[in-house]
Amino acid sequence: MNRYRYLLQKTGWALLTILFVLVLNFFLFRILPGDPARALTRDPRMKAEAREILRVRFGLDKPVINCFETLTPLKLGDCRVNPLDTQFFIYIKNLLQGELGISYKTNRPVADILAERLWNTVLLIGAGQILSIVVGVAFGVFAAWKARTAIDYGALITGLVAWSLPTFWLGIILLFWGSTQGFPIGGKATPGTGAYPLLYQIGDVANHMILPTLTYIIVYMGEYMLVMRSSLLDVLAEDYILTAKAKGLSAFQILKDHAMKNAMLPIVTLIAINLGFTVAGAVQIEAVFSWPGLGGAIFEAVESRDYPLLQGTFLLIAVSVILANLIADLTYSYLDPRVQTE
Amino acid sequence: MAIQELELKPAVPASPLSGFWNVFRKNRLAIAGLAMLVVIVIAAIFADVIAPYDPRSYAGIGAGDIYQPPSAQHWFGTDDAGKDVFSGFIYGARNSLIVGFFAAFISIFIGGTFGIIAGFYGGRIETFLMRFTDTMLVIPDLPLIVIFVALTEPSLWNIILVIGLLGWTTTARIVRSQTLAVKSRKFVLRARAIGAGNRHIIVHHILPLVMPILVVNAILVISLAILSESTLAFLGLSDPLAISWGQMLNFAFGRGAMSVGAWWALVAPGFGIVWVVLALTLLGNGLEQVLNPRLEAHHLMPGQPTVQKEAGEVPARGAFVKTPVILDVQNLSVEYINEGKPPARAVQNVSFQLHEGEMMGLVGESGCGKTTLMLAVNRLLPAAGQIVGGKALFNGIDLTTASDEELADLRWSGISIIFQGAMNALNPVRTVGDQIAEAIRKHMPIENEAALDSRVTELLELVGISAEHKNHYPHQYSGGMRQRAMIAMALSCSPQVVIADEPTTALDVMIQAQILELLDDLRRKLGLAVIFVTHDLGVVAEMCDTVLVMYGGMTAEYADVDTIYNQPRHPYTQELLKAFPDLSNPEKRLSSIPGYPPKLDALPPGCRFAPRCPLAFDRCKTELPRLHELGSGHVVGCHLLERP
Amino acid sequence: MKLTVKFVVLLTIAALALSACGALGQSQPVVMRIGWAGSPDTLNPGAAVLTEAYTIFALVYDAMYQLQLDGTFKLNLAESVSVSDDGLVYTYKIRDGVKFHDGQPLTAEDVVFSYLLYQNTEGYPWMGNYTTYFEKIEATPNNEVVITLSEPIPNIDAQLVFLYVLPKHIWENEDPLEFENVAAVGSGPFKMVEYKPNEFVHLAKNPDYFGGAPKVDEVIFQTFESQDALVQAIKTGQVDMITEMPATAVETLKQDPNIEVVTGAPFAPSVTDVIINQVLPENCPPEDGLCTGHPALLDRNVRLALAHATDKQKIIDVVLLGYGTPGTTLIPDGLGIWYNSSIKDYPYDVAKANQILDDAGYKDVNGDGIRETPDGSRSLTFRINWPSDSIDSPRLAELLSEMWGQVGVKLEAQALDPDTLTSVCCPAFDFDIIIWGWGSDPDPNLLLSVMTTDEIPTGSSETGYSNPEYDDLYRQQASELNLEKRRALVWKMQEIVFNDVVYIIPYYEQNVQAFRKDRFTGFILDQPKVELSDVTSLIRVEPVR
Repeated sequence: MNRYRYLLQKTGWALLTILFVLVLNFFLFRILPGDPARALTRDPRMKAEAREILRVRFGLDKPVINCFETLTPLKLGDCRVNPLDTQFFIYIKNLLQGELGISYKTNRPVADILAERLWNTVLLIGAGQILSIVVGVAFGVFAAWKARTAIDYGALITGLVAWSLPTFWLGIILLFWGSTQGFPIGGKATPGTGAYPLLYQIGDVANHMILPTLTYIIVYMGEYMLVMRSSLLDVLAEDYILTAKAKGLSAFQILKDHAMKNAMLPIVTLIAINLGFTVAGAVQIEAVFSWPGLGGAIFEAVESRDYPLLQGTFLLIAVSVILANLIADLTYSYLDPRVQTE
Repeated sequence: MAIQELELKPAVPASPLSGFWNVFRKNRLAIAGLAMLVVIVIAAIFADVIAPYDPRSYAGIGAGDIYQPPSAQHWFGTDDAGKDVFSGFIYGARNSLIVGFFAAFISIFIGGTFGIIAGFYGGRIETFLMRFTDTMLVIPDLPLIVIFVALTEPSLWNIILVIGLLGWTTTARIVRSQTLAVKSRKFVLRARAIGAGNRHIIVHHILPLVMPILVVNAILVISLAILSESTLAFLGLSDPLAISWGQMLNFAFGRGAMSVGAWWALVAPGFGIVWVVLALTLLGNGLEQVLNPRLEAHHLMPGQPTVQKEAGEVPARGAFVKTPVILDVQNLSVEYINEGKPPARAVQNVSFQLHEGEMMGLVGESGCGKTTLMLAVNRLLPAAGQIVGGKALFNGIDLTTASDEELADLRWSGISIIFQGAMNALNPVRTVGDQIAEAIRKHMPIENEAALDSRVTELLELVGISAEHKNHYPHQYSGGMRQRAMIAMALSCSPQVVIADEPTTALDVMIQAQILELLDDLRRKLGLAVIFVTHDLGVVAEMCDTVLVMYGGMTAEYADVDTIYNQPRHPYTQELLKAFPDLSNPEKRLSSIPGYPPKLDALPPGCRFAPRCPLAFDRCKTELPRLHELGSGHVVGCHLLERP
Repeated sequence: MKLTVKFVVLLTIAALALSACGALGQSQPVVMRIGWAGSPDTLNPGAAVLTEAYTIFALVYDAMYQLQLDGTFKLNLAESVSVSDDGLVYTYKIRDGVKFHDGQPLTAEDVVFSYLLYQNTEGYPWMGNYTTYFEKIEATPNNEVVITLSEPIPNIDAQLVFLYVLPKHIWENEDPLEFENVAAVGSGPFKMVEYKPNEFVHLAKNPDYFGGAPKVDEVIFQTFESQDALVQAIKTGQVDMITEMPATAVETLKQDPNIEVVTGAPFAPSVTDVIINQVLPENCPPEDGLCTGHPALLDRNVRLALAHATDKQKIIDVVLLGYGTPGTTLIPDGLGIWYNSSIKDYPYDVAKANQILDDAGYKDVNGDGIRETPDGSRSLTFRINWPSDSIDSPRLAELLSEMWGQVGVKLEAQALDPDTLTSVCCPAFDFDIIIWGWGSDPDPNLLLSVMTTDEIPTGSSETGYSNPEYDDLYRQQASELNLEKRRALVWKMQEIVFNDVVYIIPYYEQNVQAFRKDRFTGFILDQPKVELSDVTSLIRVEPVR
């Protein structure tokens, strides 16, 4: 199989998965108990006419899809309605136009809310991931190199303990401790500093990022460390390492030129797989540190039963993770020449 | 490289279970994990007995009891409702473990079923199931869990169900690949041949073999489920009346523990989660290592220091070649150190001399110490290997005691090695040309990249590989090409000595012949000294000048090639020759030597070959024979020579 | 090791950031930082639902009246008001010279525009309630607003207080439902500077405010995800004031010499109630009703016994650490004169509760510790539910289970998410007991309406209670113009529902707030209600010199 076919196949597969997520995302919210119409008209003081107007505004007056008026409770409907006039196809049509609906709670377009928050999450996850990879890989390499020594055992146990820490708990403990050390207690920046010099603002955001990022690093570093350690141990036991040693290369050269690239392969896969879990971490970290990102959006949407926001966030996260996986797959094919011909 | 062969594998256990336990208990971390788990499981089971207070009762609690620090009455202090944190901790263990176990059970059941069905039936079913699994794998599961739980009743069983239903993907993948590996085994094929039904095969043949891996996976899934539950509880999505650690944290976080400074209410439940998850992880890792033992040793670990000992009396070596000596090995001995066991004496008092342009055959069955000897000469022994005596002089420099820098300079430019199995000896992610260039860059003065490039091309062409393959990766080469490339690499720094360690194993006969011819050619052309490690006596007869026969880590016989073939004195040499077709006497019956070479950590007390020797007598079983010199450098280690 | 090195680097960055902050601090305006756990849902005054939004509106906009912390209404935008003799026509003289933040004048035209907008925009969730009685609204050339009502009402001030006056020149071009109104141009004492949903609301003083400019230059409301973080923020001085906190933290904060903790009735009174399903079969809503309530709960004796078996003080101690007062009816003490202070609560008396149940024939026949109904068909096992987003309710549920267990009543407890809770509650009546709560208007009308028969099918009635005498009194008070007479009616209604044990009210919550007394002073603290973030307080607050 040549590279292009590989590329094409992976991309096609990612698109198919996205399609699956789109459909899942729609029907999930209509199959599970809990009536979305209820959620938005929760206030008993709301008059019936106002309720009906809101139903129309959120498109809930239309049948879910041909033949089905509602799914929970299951109510059959007319099969001959114009499919384009059903909730499902309106949802698809809106998606194609980049519309994700209107938030029940804040009455704002979900796409706008997410656009604001996406970058905050990217910033936090990006910094956290990169640092935890760097730290984790560095420790992992060190531990593998010093295999079977006290350093190795120490690193191994540290990594396992770090892996076992519940993210939110660590966040709370750090927040608790950090607040007594002068760290900001939450948020992304000190409010009301929007007109300050740029340098100040960057410093301010960095200051706000320290605790959440530290939480991130500690939790994810452990896993990267463990995987890097065992991956490197495997690689260092390979015959080509002995070849390199027989060639007279120094340990550092061997590590750099022969072991690292090979040992990093599982890390690339792990990064991709981890992105899904990273989102889970982001929900917790953002909730603890009041970080205005997508994870926080999920948390808030769940709290206020804001279904369109919940749907939109889930969709955005799922699609991002799928795309990240695709990128990881493609990166892998560049890193490992064997993939192209297998 | 056959390190695995050299390191000693655990003895085959008497019964699977006790054997399992024997291996398992040596894993200190796993034992610690098991102990930690047992403690918490006991606490959970006997919560009613252990917990000093009823965690549901408010009897006697008033405003003054809230968030009291740890004391004699309340070991872990009190919580936001004035209740005993320690009692909550103990009862919390119960619910957290219940969630973990049951959710994992559901995940494992689904994942296991999908994995086995996909692996066993294959075809479209497999494609469909695995695609579905892959899809579920990339969908971030926490948001999905949160959505599901938020939209259903927050009861413990709903949470178990949701976590269980969404946590099966990794299990499915692991089980599938294990099933694939298992289903082509002989007894499964046999069962199929005698007409066993699919269900019978799955239940009776596949499942037992998949089970161990499923158990290990289950342990990890349990810990993930416990973490998930605590996260859900923290997000306020769990059952608030079911006391779990996550729920305790939810109350503490929601009702002001942090601002009050009631660290105990936050630390105790968090500690519980870390405790259980860590216990399970340690246990899981330990079990995995038992099932799938991996070497925790590698090539970059610092080796054992050489024990410096005078070589002592050295028998005459290699007087049959008249050129100057390059490599002079004197009474070299190597041991492998194994924890809790006597050292394995892999090489004992071996001596030989290699002269310029000489080709020496190093012959013996697998496990006789040939490779160890060659690695020892280059100080490339695995971490457990130790040179315990003797010298290896290369142009007068003792390689066994040379500094790392000296050694690094001499490697490849002085002595290079053609490893067996070039597939593994070449780095799969770097191009062949690059790997050759690397050695040159290290050892040779190069003017510029172009010169380097042309040198690489030249080398490849020397071994019959056209320049266009230079930038290809090893996997794009055929087996024979890889071996040639390996030879080109070995020659890249114009070494004086090339060690060819079974360079033609795993190649088909035609290619073997080509490679050997090439090697012989190059040797003559470049005036190399070659040590040719092999068990193919035919090749030795054709190509070598001298032959060293090793058995059980010792010199059996050492002589020039004619002597070895025409007047072998050691019974082992004689037996080896019988196993080798004699072209001049095609009528001769071939016979292989019954038995196997001795285990290096359980050597017989006398002659190493005595148990298999057709001519052995009493003395052979008690006393090591000394090396006898029979003139003109013919050395034999056998008691028979002292018998009239 | 490496981690510490990195950490030091991070700390250095932090130090740099902080020192930069210090350097800038010299020339900075006086900023008051307020921490809260919420955020406005929207800045569109018609569409908003949450209290947080109303807090901001009160600072940025003006309404005809302003609610004072003593519970009275004061004319705000209008200089004077005159009422026709029949009580149907109100004429308000709008202050002259009032300007919106963008410099445009605020006139009677804007008031009329706003009121009509609220009345006519059907998608607005609450505004319909406040504009029900408006028949005609007109502006006169004298900068007057004339409101003609369909019938006389006693509380026009309570109707107008949340109808904020919007600038016509901005709103007339917008879709009233979809307009996000992030600029929030109003006429109030503070101007909107920046609004980031779920992060902060940044306000600056309006120096031209007709009531006098605020003494602080800026006010910033910052959102924290948890109340715990709020307390930590005020302790460390990252905010100057917090609007809520967990009761558990009060004692700790009180010990801080720089912090003043204030408690009192909340501005918007809130009630935590135990809803008892007592809808009669004949009142079951024909369309939506399931009416699966336990029949024993229809018996006043059972409800009375439960009331006697409820140790409210213990609940207040454990759940609120004492920061609450035992409740009697849905009308909380925070409603001032409307609260019937003469009602004496049922004392906590387990023996009496047992006696009542014994006398009424509820005996534990099968000896399992749980009483059965007199006919023996069912045991006194009740379902109890509460919204899963409440952190206090599960504690309350645990306490009730234990307390009521002592009189042979068993509770099956289950948290439900708010939607599911709404759908089992009303008008479905598919429950036995629910723990929920009400936030209230300053006027008792809304809370009183909840217990009328008319509201059973609409979903507003949670208990299904029906009493013709009560319904009659409700109608009377709704149009009684004499304050004292209306008060008597309202008190009488409270007596009736208290005697019938319609609800069990564990407590009225208190507002617990705190501010940095080392930094700010001038909050209104001597009034019956406590709300530090109220406009009447914030406009007076000044930094400590």
